[in-house]
Amino acid sequence: MSYNTYRFWKLLVIIIVAILVGWAVPSGYAFIPVPVAVIGMGILYIIKRGVKEIVIDERTYNIANRASRMAFQTVTLAMVLIGATLVALSYGKHPGVGPMGLTLIYSAAGLMAVYLISYVYYGKKVGGKS
Amino acid sequence: MTRITNRIRRLRFDHSEMTQEELAQRAGCTRQTIIALEQGKYVPSIELAFKIALAFGVTLEEVFQYEG
Repeated sequence: MSYNTYRFWKLLVIIIVAILVGWAVPSGYAFIPVPVAVIGMGILYIIKRGVKEIVIDERTYNIANRASRMAFQTVTLAMVLIGATLVALSYGKHPGVGPMGLTLIYSAAGLMAVYLISYVYYGKKVGGKS
Repeated sequence: MTRITNRIRRLRFDHSEMTQEELAQRAGCTRQTIIALEQGKYVPSIELAFKIALAFGVTLEEVFQYEG
């Protein structure tokens, strides 16, 4: 199978999974999304094995690394800023938004903790002082 | 742009117009990576650089040059 054929089937599977999940959740079938997602991932795995061309290489990982880092920094910063704003607002006219702000700040702290642990782990794995 | 240049396009031509796909297969990378290398937009790892040189049967210096 060529890479383009793989991309076509991948897109089709993603669309079908998205439609099924999008239909199941509002309809109250809460048990459907998880098996559908797992089956979708399984189909994608099988299709990917049939691709003769090389699909992932060091450049792809390089791009993924940069994208992950950018996404992490953007999301964390946004969560902290929005969280701090909500907490500040909770001391004024909107006391109800305080817990929401704290949830965002604690989530950002959790993300940073996972990042730090991963960084130390991979730093030791690769070697040298980071 | 990087200061590392390469002669991949020239070497492909010298090896009976080897296609980007063929070189990618031999070097174990994607065709998009070969395209990015030829355009000077990507600097490969040492391992990939060696694999590309090996695919052409030449030394590393004959493929990549550092313009320092």
